Amino acid sequence: MSEELKNSAAQPSALSEVSPNNENIPEADRPVTALEEPQAPPARSAAGKALLVGVSLGLFLALLTLWLAPVWREWMFAILPESKFALQLRTTDIKQLQKEAQRLEKRVAGLQKKHAAITPRLPYLIVDTSENRIQVMKAGEQLHEGVCSTGSYVLLRSAAQQRQWMFVTPRGMYQIRGKRVNPVWAKPDWAFIEEGLPVPPLGSPERFEAGVLGEYALELGDGYLIHGTLYKRMLGMPVTHGCVRLGDEDLRIVYKNLQIGSKVFIY
Amino acid sequence: MTRQNFGVALLNRLVKPFRFLRQNRKGKIIFFLALIIFPLFVFIVTVVLPVAGNPFEAAAEDEAFENSEALPDSTPAEIVTGRRELAQKMAALEIDQAFLQTRLELSKEDSICLIVDLLDSTANLEVKGVPMRRCKILRYRSSGLARRLRGQGRLHQWLATPFVLQEQLATLPKATIRIKEAPKDTIEANESKGEDLPIEQRDAEFTLHFDRNLTLSVEQIQPPSFSGRLREFWYDVRRNFNEARDAVTALMHLQLPQHRMWIEIELSREDAKAIYRALPTRAGLALRL
Repeated sequence: MSEELKNSAAQPSALSEVSPNNENIPEADRPVTALEEPQAPPARSAAGKALLVGVSLGLFLALLTLWLAPVWREWMFAILPESKFALQLRTTDIKQLQKEAQRLEKRVAGLQKKHAAITPRLPYLIVDTSENRIQVMKAGEQLHEGVCSTGSYVLLRSAAQQRQWMFVTPRGMYQIRGKRVNPVWAKPDWAFIEEGLPVPPLGSPERFEAGVLGEYALELGDGYLIHGTLYKRMLGMPVTHGCVRLGDEDLRIVYKNLQIGSKVFIY
Repeated sequence: MTRQNFGVALLNRLVKPFRFLRQNRKGKIIFFLALIIFPLFVFIVTVVLPVAGNPFEAAAEDEAFENSEALPDSTPAEIVTGRRELAQKMAALEIDQAFLQTRLELSKEDSICLIVDLLDSTANLEVKGVPMRRCKILRYRSSGLARRLRGQGRLHQWLATPFVLQEQLATLPKATIRIKEAPKDTIEANESKGEDLPIEQRDAEFTLHFDRNLTLSVEQIQPPSFSGRLREFWYDVRRNFNEARDAVTALMHLQLPQHRMWIEIELSREDAKAIYRALPTRAGLALRL
């Protein structure tokens, strides 16, 4: 510490000259006197504190505003006045406007006709994999409704063979590619792996099994079939390997109504 | 402690951090400036400017509608009324036309698409133009922006082409995949045959973000279960967070955040689930509102 500072510390300051009168009084209750003016540093720290608290609170409010911005915008859309140009038309000529409206009506009617023509005239099948239900439809009208079983979403993994299969019924639009009576199931590899059996070579008699697919089978392509089942209590549940299983009566109706080329919509 | 005393004590505690502002004018000014400047900036950038310059307002002019001058005050009342009715009729026809054109365009694609008709209160799943599932919309709400656009006869321009799904957020998975290890032998295979199928009772709530600033939220009409409510809360937090994140990202790229045109529809749980599970990742949407 310098000599000068030591002296100033030793000598009573202007503030300390008055302090004897107030030294036992708590600071908050001490009367403010003109002599206390030199307290500049506390004022500066108060400004700093104000800035810090203000910025902190401001940032918090800014985040809140950001979070609520979509709500604020909706509120503004609600309170802002509608445009004064709302629904103004190019011309004031009513007759011309009516002609334009008629032209629009015709155009809309034409589009409706075009869209209605998309719906197949022949019976088609809708398969709901979410609720495992089917609908046989014709020209947009329902002919029959029933239950089915669709893909189980099981991923079968074979560590020994380093292969895996996902049992899902594919979604989208398909066509009936073939119809079979008393179908025989040509078992794929997964049917053996799932049972813990050794996989026989292709064309082996072990691969063919009659009577498990019901009376009929309709081919959708890529090995997917609509067929019957022995496990009727499982109908309505997602238990298949990707095919659509139906009960006997539903299968008969589907087989009767759907021809080769008929559409099948799966969702 | 009485209730009044407790209130006073609480107030004192809350006010205590701000006592330093007393008798400090400069501090007060600094405090209020610092307090206001950030929220005000955020409010202007994320609320005022996007509303003032929303992209839908600046849509291209149409053949029939334009920002022409209003009719003079001396115009007979029947002409004004007739003209207004015609304008409304034409606006509705333009929307119908846009909706049908969009559906026809979607029917050319192979994938499953969603058709939402708020005027008919239906949400349909379609493929190749054929409705597969017709769902009844039990309740819906939409952004105030839609009302404004309809009022200006410009909504059809926005609806004229299919919307394409960009992002989705849901309380349920797309598919409940179960992994099954192949059994070593027939004994192990027979043991696993007895396993019960898991019954799915998840609540269905999802948000689909489409291009052209459209957000479609689908909720089930049935009250959610307790775990469903927790999942719903977390889903709401994520949704709000994503919106805030998008706004910040836009600001970082020196762009104004855009207001999303949102629509909220309520369906039965089964319908909501079927729609969510059926829609592909880049699904198309046709909308009529």
